[in-house]
Amino acid sequence: MTELSRRSLLKALGWATGGIIVFGGAGGARAFPTFPYRGAPTPEDAAVWLSLRPGGEIEVFSPRAEFGQGIAVALRQIVSEETGVGLEFVRCRLPGTGMIRPARATVGSDSIKDFGPLLAQAAAALAAAMRARAATLIGVPAESLTPSGDGFKAASGATVTLSRLAKGKPLIIDEQAVATAEPHSLRPGRAHTVVGQAQPTDDIDAIVTATRPIYADDIRLPDMVHGAAIRPELVGGRIEAADDTACRAVPGYLGLHRDGDFIAVLAERRGALRPALAALEVTTRGDGKVDDATIAAALDVDAALAGGALEHVLESDDMDPAADYDVDLTLDVPMAGHVPMEPRTAVARFRDDGKLEIWTGTQDAFFARAVVADELHLDEDDVVVHGLRTGGAFGGKTLCTVELEAARLARAAGRPVKVQWSRRDEFAGNFQRQPSRHRIRARLAPDGGIDAWWHAFRAGHVIFTSAALGPILQFATSFVPDMGSKRGALPPYRARRKRIEFEDVRLPVPTGPWRGLGAGPNSWAIETAIDALARQANRDPLAFRVGAIAADQPRLAAVLRQVATLSNWSDRRPDAGRGYGVACGVYKGMSYAAVVAEVAMADGDAPRVSGLWCAHDCGLVINPDQVRAQIEGNLVWGLGMALHERLEVRDGRIQADSHADYPLPRFSDVPAIDIALIGQEHVSSGAGETAIVAASAAITNAISALTGTTITRLPYRG
Amino acid sequence: MDFSLNGRRVASPPAMDDDPLLYVLRDHFGLNGPKFGCGVGACGACTVHVDGAAQRACQLTPRDVKGRTVVTLEGLGSGRPDGLHPVQRAWIDASVPQCGYCQNGQIMTAAALLAADPGAGPAAAAAAMDEVVCRCGTQARIRQALSKAQAVIRDGS
Ligand code: FES
Ligand code: FES
Repeated sequence: MTELSRRSLLKALGWATGGIIVFGGAGGARAFPTFPYRGAPTPEDAAVWLSLRPGGEIEVFSPRAEFGQGIAVALRQIVSEETGVGLEFVRCRLPGTGMIRPARATVGSDSIKDFGPLLAQAAAALAAAMRARAATLIGVPAESLTPSGDGFKAASGATVTLSRLAKGKPLIIDEQAVATAEPHSLRPGRAHTVVGQAQPTDDIDAIVTATRPIYADDIRLPDMVHGAAIRPELVGGRIEAADDTACRAVPGYLGLHRDGDFIAVLAERRGALRPALAALEVTTRGDGKVDDATIAAALDVDAALAGGALEHVLESDDMDPAADYDVDLTLDVPMAGHVPMEPRTAVARFRDDGKLEIWTGTQDAFFARAVVADELHLDEDDVVVHGLRTGGAFGGKTLCTVELEAARLARAAGRPVKVQWSRRDEFAGNFQRQPSRHRIRARLAPDGGIDAWWHAFRAGHVIFTSAALGPILQFATSFVPDMGSKRGALPPYRARRKRIEFEDVRLPVPTGPWRGLGAGPNSWAIETAIDALARQANRDPLAFRVGAIAADQPRLAAVLRQVATLSNWSDRRPDAGRGYGVACGVYKGMSYAAVVAEVAMADGDAPRVSGLWCAHDCGLVINPDQVRAQIEGNLVWGLGMALHERLEVRDGRIQADSHADYPLPRFSDVPAIDIALIGQEHVSSGAGETAIVAASAAITNAISALTGTTITRLPYRG
Repeated sequence: MDFSLNGRRVASPPAMDDDPLLYVLRDHFGLNGPKFGCGVGACGACTVHVDGAAQRACQLTPRDVKGRTVVTLEGLGSGRPDGLHPVQRAWIDASVPQCGYCQNGQIMTAAALLAADPGAGPAAAAAAMDEVVCRCGTQARIRQALSKAQAVIRDGS
């Protein structure tokens, strides 16, 4: 254990004054946005995440962003469990680039899986350091001390409080101590006290009372002004000219800033932005030809199959297009928006020493720093990005957008600037969930299993999104299968022959990561076809699945059986206007979900989901309350996919301007939800995107059970 | 404009008379409760109480609230023993928030609903709450919290 050994760490802990805190070695990532991401975290990284502060609190510098997934409280729970320090004495600060070494984007439901164990190691190292110092302080052997929640107690009855432990000297840990620590807090099968406890999200008090600033829009700086970028109305359009003569009559209008393709207005007050934008004369160019039909044509999987094998073959058995199949479906998934309730917001200010500070809600503070430094020709060390609680992200806040806009305007204005995207910006200025078209052909085996499974699909790009890559990189990546588009394409079922092939298509509308990436759409297609096969075989769809699940997927079979019990499946029979559907899936080979949906549909009415049950296995659960919340969120997202969401493009224009044009599930659309968490004997995996693999298909399958017709196009609006 | 804001008489600057009330509350008065979600009255994130009724602050100007009483999330629990309105208490007990950004609108809408109609049935609840968007999917918990708060308010505790 070393104390006060590293100057940079001390700065991060706030003991050194002045200067922006700097750690070396981010580089390399700026050309590529979400891919390739920075490497897995190391003990060296983790040594900076934890310290005991002079006030007697353990402080966690989170390497993960918080946007509602409840990660902050989960990290605190791990530290509390590991150290024996009460949860109330462990606080968590969200990632800023000045606090920790570069951490990769918060994506892919891997925070607990990839960061949890290392955090537990760091906590074990800190616990050992605390114990050693306590032993020295009261002159007893370290082994005679037991943690008491707020310090240590000796066998003699003597106590050491946390604040006494930390007095005058922060307690920090080094890489070596982290690397050699042997934590217990995440070991499945052990009795835990804090791990496994239901806890609300951090900051719930501030959310419910608004008594503390927590989001980027809550940041107000002296002398701050407001900016808004001007975007072309049309997909692929360009702004050719902007004339702000009329804007000058708007009180509070400050001016137009132009720098290449970036054009923005600045105003003293937010209220002046909208009238200024309305007064601005903008000449744009754009062909106005892109529409849903253009996109559908680009996704025409049958046309592609007519030319032979698709570009990327994931399972390669030969299939005969002329043969008979029991199920032959063409399935369509439309584009969708992220629609986080918090529009992207950033505040930027140049300090007197020329260094730049940015406050924002992002999934990737380090990427934002790299892009801003690059674009503004600043040294990365001279830019600090403070990551704040984010009002929803869902994969959509992975690129650097509003941060760069605010930074450019702050430089131009010579004053701090806040930029907040309009709702229209959110719909039209960001990338979208990739649309896809699937052709699935399948044949039953005489024993009731699956003889042949042939799934071909075309989908928009996800990782190699044109929203992020310049033309050269788009070309360079066009030969590599997009791992986002193909996520979830391998079915978890046995089949004698399998062929799975796909093409990722560069669409005129930028597409990119959206909760679960390809897993939501691909598993909807698979689970729709499996249900159709079961209907064809006249089998119960749940029993059919259990029988067909591959031998190496016992945890999937387990969630299916569990959801059968939870939903009382065997007693559920479709009757007057009420149908039941089931679906299941595996997310990233690590987590499992099975969902049963009850749908009520009166004659001629739109379907209504009247019950949802989910059995879920993401291994050991740190915080069942937050895992349940994630499952509930995924079920609602599945409901949105199934019945509501579709982002339309017409005459070259993304049609949605506000929530009024893009219906999401509302309060009365969401039924009571019943969840069972199983599989806790396994190590923790991830819960943020798992249930989406089963939710939408369970709902559409319930409708099909009622109508007898397979639903082949999302959303189903009756 | 003169109005009452969270129990205090305030005056907003004349230069902001035609600005959305939301910006006046956030940028002039420094309040964090009402949020910008859409700016066009379509999401409910900016909800405040005007003379006790839930209103969208993005659709009002200071002129609209002249002489009236505006309460934001910051002022909702004032005068209560623990500083929390029963709806806020229920929201914490049911652990409703995920990202939290919509919850100002959910809480303010629910509180206005229960104040106007303590016995509100499912149809009245749907009519009010359907207009407040939550993207994270907290609707099921909102329903639980709402009925808890309703029970507390009806029992007068
Ligand atoms: S911000 Fe006012 S309703 Fe959306
Ligand atoms: S809690 Fe995130 S939008 Fe409702």
